[in-house]
Amino acid sequence: MSDTRKSYPLIDATEPNLIEETFDYDLPPLIRFDGPLVEYIDGEPVHFDPKSLATRDFFITDTTFRDGQQARPPYTIDQMVHIYDLLSKLGGPNGVIRQTEFFLYTKNDRATLDRCRELGHAYPECTGWIRAVPGDFRLAKEAGLKETGMLTSSSDYHIFQKLKYKSRQACMDAYCEVVDAAFEAGVRPRCHLEDITRADIEGFVLPFVERLMRMSEQVPEELSVKIRLCDTMGFGVSFPGVELPRSIPKLIYRLNQSVGVPSSRLEWHGHNDFHKVHVNGATAWLYGCDAVNTTLFGYGERTGNPPLEGAVIEYIALKGDLCGIQTEGITELAEYMRSIGFPIPDNYPFVGRYFNTTRAGIHAGGLRSDERIYNIFDTTKLLRRPPRVALTDKTGSDGVALWVNEYFGLKGDKRLSVMKVHKVARWVRDQYEVHGRMTAISDGELEQQVKELMPEQYAKYKGSPE
Amino acid sequence: MATVEERVVAVTARVLQLEPDQIKPEHAFTTDLGAESVQSVELVAMFEEEFGIEMDEDAALSVQTVGGAVDFITKVCKEQGVDV
Repeated sequence: MSDTRKSYPLIDATEPNLIEETFDYDLPPLIRFDGPLVEYIDGEPVHFDPKSLATRDFFITDTTFRDGQQARPPYTIDQMVHIYDLLSKLGGPNGVIRQTEFFLYTKNDRATLDRCRELGHAYPECTGWIRAVPGDFRLAKEAGLKETGMLTSSSDYHIFQKLKYKSRQACMDAYCEVVDAAFEAGVRPRCHLEDITRADIEGFVLPFVERLMRMSEQVPEELSVKIRLCDTMGFGVSFPGVELPRSIPKLIYRLNQSVGVPSSRLEWHGHNDFHKVHVNGATAWLYGCDAVNTTLFGYGERTGNPPLEGAVIEYIALKGDLCGIQTEGITELAEYMRSIGFPIPDNYPFVGRYFNTTRAGIHAGGLRSDERIYNIFDTTKLLRRPPRVALTDKTGSDGVALWVNEYFGLKGDKRLSVMKVHKVARWVRDQYEVHGRMTAISDGELEQQVKELMPEQYAKYKGSPE
Repeated sequence: MATVEERVVAVTARVLQLEPDQIKPEHAFTTDLGAESVQSVELVAMFEEEFGIEMDEDAALSVQTVGGAVDFITKVCKEQGVDV
């Protein structure tokens, strides 16, 4: 065998290459492509151009009040109105968070919808969610909604085992009857193809959607059917080469190209049963779904849905621009949700209490010399969350200095050196070496020590110790 | 008045809890005298206090030996106009 491997001589440098075209610290790291995505469909390579994302109007939709609320006790009306207000602020004037959906069944459901609309925000647009029952469109129409989702389950698990239809034909006819009722009511139907990743795509999904497309040709464009691909059990798989019905690229291609549903009318709705929920949503964007349906902090039925805030960060990474998104709204939403008793794990990305907190002394040293070394992006600027250190036996003097400087709010040349915090560093060290402590040191304990051991600096930066 | 070396040895003995006669100019703070990370910082802080000077953190922490510390502190005292 001949050695055909290329040789890679060292490219020496005296200045670092920080790859800032990707890791622009002012934005989440960008996702840059150097070629097409390729999926084999019917044995032939099909190219998907990810660079089209730069110009495509793809967006986020929200189901915090519907799927998100199915997994928890109901929100009060005031809570929902406040969350809606914050979602609007986060998504910005371009409507990156384009729509959110509401139940319509109770008096409270309808009052919530009215109060959200009274805020006068252009986005998120309010849509409904109803059962696939013709009479339910009356609710959507009376509420003045232009669009509502409806259940049109697509797998035989649902068609036969749950809904007890005698045949697929009977099921499809019943669904289409409801779609007709929506058209008559002047409400755009969004058909939720429940359990599509476990459905017979050739045998039911494509014939059904083809029929929906034909029906849509008979009505004005603004009433034409939208399709939501519901990965109800989280079976969808993102990578190429997977067969239907689990392949997300193939599912979207079939609906988009084989039966002609435009990208603007395709939406992905995932679940996190296999830890794939976020990347599956992003994959849907890449392969031609313009909408990815999400919930705040991923909270939803069972294991949850694509986290809205994760989709927001992914959106910026794919677009390479904030696009009007007010990223600090993510922190504001998390603070509000915590205040109403919504649990957010400490290590949860972007909003967890410790998401950008390091415990290792060597990491703290890196953070102190250049925070980019151990911080994912400028979390102070984008999320109002400066990188932190939690003090343990592994932290060392660098970590203590970082904590104290952060606590005093000191920047640049004003930052205190490790020598200036040595008494606090000694106290921390003794907690573990002398007193045999086994737990991390809380912010409250550190504050007390700073007050006692650094009284001059405390008085200077925090006011007089009492 | 004590020399710079005597004062450096005294501070080192106090921080590292050693007898002054155990400390020689050629001794390295970490490998010979057993200074840990926090103690290295404490040594620098105590030298600043003893001599009434401000030292550059990185430069001070890079000094390896007792004799090196004597030279470094003498130089800083001179630069900052402190009589020793």
